[in-house]
Amino acid sequence: MRQILRDAAFTIRVRLLKCSCLALVAVWLLGLQEVSLAQRPPTIAAAANLNVALTEIAKQFERDRGMRVDVVFGSSGTLTRQIRDGAPFEMFLAADEEFPDQLTSAGLTRDAGVVYAVGRLVIFAPTGSPLMVDERLDGLSRLLRAGGVTRFAIANPDVAPYGRAAEGVLRKHGLWDAIRSRLVVGDTIAQAAQFSTTGNAVGGLIAYSLVKEPGVAERGRYALIPETDHAPLRQRMVLLKRATPIVEQFYAYMQGAAARTVLINNGYQVPQ
Amino acid sequence: MRDPALSVSLRQSGPIPLDVEFTCHSGEVLAIFGPSGSGKTTILRSIAGLYRPSHASIRSGAETWTDTDTGTFIPPHRRTVGLVFQEYALFPHLTALGNVMTAIGHRPRTERRSRAEAMLNLVRLGAHASKRPRDLSGGERQRVALARALAREPAVLLLDEPFSAVDRSARRRLQNEIDSLRRTLDVPLVLVTHDFEDVVRLASHVLMLQHGRGVACGPISTLMSRPDLPWLREAVGLGSVFDATVTRVHADRGLVELTFGGGLLLAPARNIVANTAVRVRIPAREIVLATTAPAGLSLHNVLAGAVMAVHIDAAFEGVIVQLAVGDSVMLAEVTRDAIGRLGIGVGQRLHVLIKSVSVELQASDANGAAEDNEA
Amino acid sequence: MDWAALRVSLWLGAGTIAILLPLGVWFGRLLAVREFKGKLLVEALVTVPLVLPPTVLGFYLLVTFGARSPLGQAFEALVGHSLPFSFQGLLFASAIANVPFVIQPIQRGFEAIPSDVRDAAASCGLTPWQRFARIELPLAWPGVLTGAVLTFAHTLGEFGVVLMVGGNLPGQTRTLSVAIYDRMQAFDDRSAGVMAATLLTISVVTLMTTTALSRRVNPHRA
Repeated sequence: MRQILRDAAFTIRVRLLKCSCLALVAVWLLGLQEVSLAQRPPTIAAAANLNVALTEIAKQFERDRGMRVDVVFGSSGTLTRQIRDGAPFEMFLAADEEFPDQLTSAGLTRDAGVVYAVGRLVIFAPTGSPLMVDERLDGLSRLLRAGGVTRFAIANPDVAPYGRAAEGVLRKHGLWDAIRSRLVVGDTIAQAAQFSTTGNAVGGLIAYSLVKEPGVAERGRYALIPETDHAPLRQRMVLLKRATPIVEQFYAYMQGAAARTVLINNGYQVPQ
Repeated sequence: MRDPALSVSLRQSGPIPLDVEFTCHSGEVLAIFGPSGSGKTTILRSIAGLYRPSHASIRSGAETWTDTDTGTFIPPHRRTVGLVFQEYALFPHLTALGNVMTAIGHRPRTERRSRAEAMLNLVRLGAHASKRPRDLSGGERQRVALARALAREPAVLLLDEPFSAVDRSARRRLQNEIDSLRRTLDVPLVLVTHDFEDVVRLASHVLMLQHGRGVACGPISTLMSRPDLPWLREAVGLGSVFDATVTRVHADRGLVELTFGGGLLLAPARNIVANTAVRVRIPAREIVLATTAPAGLSLHNVLAGAVMAVHIDAAFEGVIVQLAVGDSVMLAEVTRDAIGRLGIGVGQRLHVLIKSVSVELQASDANGAAEDNEA
Repeated sequence: MDWAALRVSLWLGAGTIAILLPLGVWFGRLLAVREFKGKLLVEALVTVPLVLPPTVLGFYLLVTFGARSPLGQAFEALVGHSLPFSFQGLLFASAIANVPFVIQPIQRGFEAIPSDVRDAAASCGLTPWQRFARIELPLAWPGVLTGAVLTFAHTLGEFGVVLMVGGNLPGQTRTLSVAIYDRMQAFDDRSAGVMAATLLTISVVTLMTTTALSRRVNPHRA
């Protein structure tokens, strides 16, 4: 014990040195942070199905208004959780209404928000896949019975509303139990689309908006799933309490004509 | 003026048992001798401050280095010790010069290099100053370690089995080197070894250790003539060890005349000058005892002795006869039969016969280039 | 090529080293030199981040420091923003995740020094600080270097923790590895490929440099 006490003089000096190193690092980092915050455009969170459409809208917004927003895409469920854990997003465009409602109940939003689009599901099969696509999933059913479905992609129903809808569709057609063990589940609908279009699965149930992108459409074939086969994909957006003026403007822009045109072109329906 | 004595007292029941008490004066060489595991290195490390026994009192001159009663403990880097490790423990990333310079922190910066070079020259390694330890032989590394220890200008020089990792010829040279060094140094030298040859060659005093306990301590000549140490006898072979002076050189006869406490001895010798101090060793079994004065024998030495004691040990065949020869004590080993035949008993006066070729000599001159004569 | 993401990755790597090296040297040396009760437990704890799935680490960090936790709220009150979803949060998570990568090589480096050499240094009159700076550190240097490089390379490749704790915020917590993932989801394979190749090149070059350096440093070992 005494030995340790006697080494204290040495240890204290060493610790002082280390503390000063750490302090320097901390100051430097804080400085870094300050600078970056001041210069950084505001960040908004969006469901992954908006990958194509929202990027386009944000570009137009910058062209028209001269202001920039940064978009972070993810699954609605994950983004909701992150917002609740303090992620600095100023606006949230979800793929459903439930997730934004959670935030509203938690008192994190300005108000209940608005429905900005209604999405659609498609069944997609990449070129060369044995899967025949049709809106009643007959092709899928046949392939499944023939044992030809190696893997089928959907988004994670727990965190992605499009995944939830996909599950609904599969259950409705009585295919859920049979296909369950063959499912490859994407963290977001975009990841599910990745799986579906790159030949890692025979096909998948993905967002209509994602196949509308030129590069994707030509990778295979798809068929629109009737809206009646699943709960409607009404997509709601909310402003978070910390929203700054630029984002407020973007929120309004989203409801304007320019944005709605883009949404329609990308396969969404827009409310009147 | 420093009081250069070293006094040590260590007691501990575990984990390493210790129970020793000894002093060492400047110019003395104390050899701590014992089998492996007897705690020798622990004693050395305690003196250096690298080990802290539960009860210890270590004083160097006027300074108290360790005293468990008062709670005093001077950390190792504040003790002026020179420690030569068994495996040298040189700093591998520094040159020989760098190694030695590390120990000269107590001198001003401007002096350090020149002092280090002087030290290396002292151990005759001046030419190797810029070599790294990996480029040096075992003996050379040991000498660097020695130079480093000396560079500290220590109050106590400690050597831990300094010759164990070195080959035989290098060992001889190193022993002679140390022997000549200690004559010029004014510090106590404590040497730890399990090899009795080291003791015989260098020590002025011996501390015998068994399981951490000091079982015998005293001047070497006294200890060597203690036949009641059976493991010593087994390990080493008993004999008489004493210091003598060369009084005359009979160059024509190829003999030298030695004067010691018991009289005169003749031994064959080359290249020894008169008035040199030598250490003499005569193995006990090389001595012949006679009740009548012999004549017509080839041997040169006949001394007069009186029997002090006769030691019979069932474990050994030979019997040790302890004799007083003048002021010295000598040991002779004879058979039991001989004891009976000659009627040898305490107090009896006997003639002690020693062949000159049995007189083992070791001498070193002032230059450190040593001579070693074994017949 | 997302230059902001590259910058974030490099800053994260450098920052992690800056925090962990002094701590690693101190603690690694302590573990190498001292024996104490519970040392086995401490060594095991140090190794835990190695086997811990990054998502578990991320989860616990969010739970402990997120906006819904008392610690998180205290932090936010103090600094003005939450710990997760900030670069500092990433740095914190990265430091924890890299503890074994920095401590173990450094510990081995100091352990490789024979205790005799340390004792000799003390007997030469070197104070504990001098012993450390002039004898131990030069000899343990290869271990320290290895620790730094492993940490840097590992940080560059971190994904799970970064995604969970960072929130993929551009320019702040979007590292190169996350940006690759991001670009893939946007069907931008070309960008993803460029960034992946960059990451690979940096890692290989870093490892090559250190191997070469450590060979140069090592030869004085006898």
